[in-house]
Amino acid sequence: MKRAASQLLLLVAKDLRIEARGRQTVGLLVVLGLLIVAVLGLGLGGTAAAGFGAPVVLWVAYLFAGVLCFEKTMAVERSDGALAGLMIAPMDRGTIYVAKLLSNLTLMAAVALVITPAGVIFFSFDLSAAPGTFVLVMALGIVGFAAIGTLFAALVSSTRLQGGLLAMMAFPVALPLVIASTQMLIHRFRDGQPIEGGALGILVAFDAIFLTVSWLAFEWVLEP
Amino acid sequence: MTGTFSISASFPAAIETAGLGKWIDDRPILRDVHLTIGRGEYVGLLGGNGAGKTTLLRILSTLIPPGSGRLSVAGCELPRMASKARAHVGLVTHQSMLYRDLTARENLEFFAKLHGVRHASQRVEEILQRVGMSARADDLVKTFSRGMTQRISIARAIVHEPDVLLADEPFAGLDESAAAAVEELLAELNAAGRTILLVNHDVEQTLRLVRRVVVLRVGRDRGIASMT
Repeated sequence: MKRAASQLLLLVAKDLRIEARGRQTVGLLVVLGLLIVAVLGLGLGGTAAAGFGAPVVLWVAYLFAGVLCFEKTMAVERSDGALAGLMIAPMDRGTIYVAKLLSNLTLMAAVALVITPAGVIFFSFDLSAAPGTFVLVMALGIVGFAAIGTLFAALVSSTRLQGGLLAMMAFPVALPLVIASTQMLIHRFRDGQPIEGGALGILVAFDAIFLTVSWLAFEWVLEP
Repeated sequence: MTGTFSISASFPAAIETAGLGKWIDDRPILRDVHLTIGRGEYVGLLGGNGAGKTTLLRILSTLIPPGSGRLSVAGCELPRMASKARAHVGLVTHQSMLYRDLTARENLEFFAKLHGVRHASQRVEEILQRVGMSARADDLVKTFSRGMTQRISIARAIVHEPDVLLADEPFAGLDESAAAAVEELLAELNAAGRTILLVNHDVEQTLRLVRRVVVLRVGRDRGIASMT
């Protein structure tokens, strides 16, 4: 267990070191996210989109930025066969999955830290009533999306059908998370109703299912 | 060598396969492969295109599971003891398996720690000297020539001091002097007691380097023919 934890830290540190050195993924994701927020904001029009469209637009930005993030972090492993080097190391392949998920979540969190305030300001979305609830609901949604996105990125990277395939696989599966979280936020911020524990439980349940299934399936989709 | 499968105490094999087969997408890649390689041997694996040489090495390195038959590497039966076997096996291919945006030292320390090597920094220092790359240790791998990359790749494969080194086309893309350096490195590793199984398309070079050659035949009658 101690060894697995140490290997996990090594893998995440390696991913973040590579990203810190190149600064390619986060920069690209932030620009993409901001563009999506701006284009949708301008396209929907100031008054029509004002306020409660923000969670939906932010989700669109998270989804596209996320897909790009998962693809790029997996591409690092595909370059020069580095993944094979990991697969012949004496460790559980589930450790590789958890490490890749943590790396993706760290990068997504960095991107969300920039995109979210931009979206909130652009759409004049008043978070003051329950900022903690907003962060919690979005975070739970992103964890679930990253869980399946990391699995699908590994699967897609071993095929020749890259490009849009990851989005086509991940978006439909992430749809329940998107719908649940946006409905909760609209319910909370537009209607002023508190989010019940049961509603949050739905997001937690989706996360638990996505995490467990992805962790179990990762070994089978990993092709050297 | 059909029937029972065991590792003889008097001839402790580094690699032993019995009736090994592998099918991929309903296509036979390997069929009924019998192979025994003793500890400390330097063996060349030859065969035509599509004979299954790379597949055999991928199975032996635990990258992919065998389809049928039995095999053991460094005394570990596969796939049951794959995790244990990984501590005893190193793999070099034409791909470096290195991270281009990390330095040579960072790559080697990463893989050393992943394998649980104690005093990883010290071990990496030693191995960088051994492959003659100390002077470039802190340069990014992406700045290296093909020959330098391959030397670091070999260093990665042996950083955890494996008993068995599997080398799949390690000379691919190397110029004459770089190939000679890699040849020398492999010979040194074998002299130090490591078992090496070399896959190489250059028959002449292979015959010059190894002590024994085994041949994987293509076609219906796949299997191992051995010659000394």
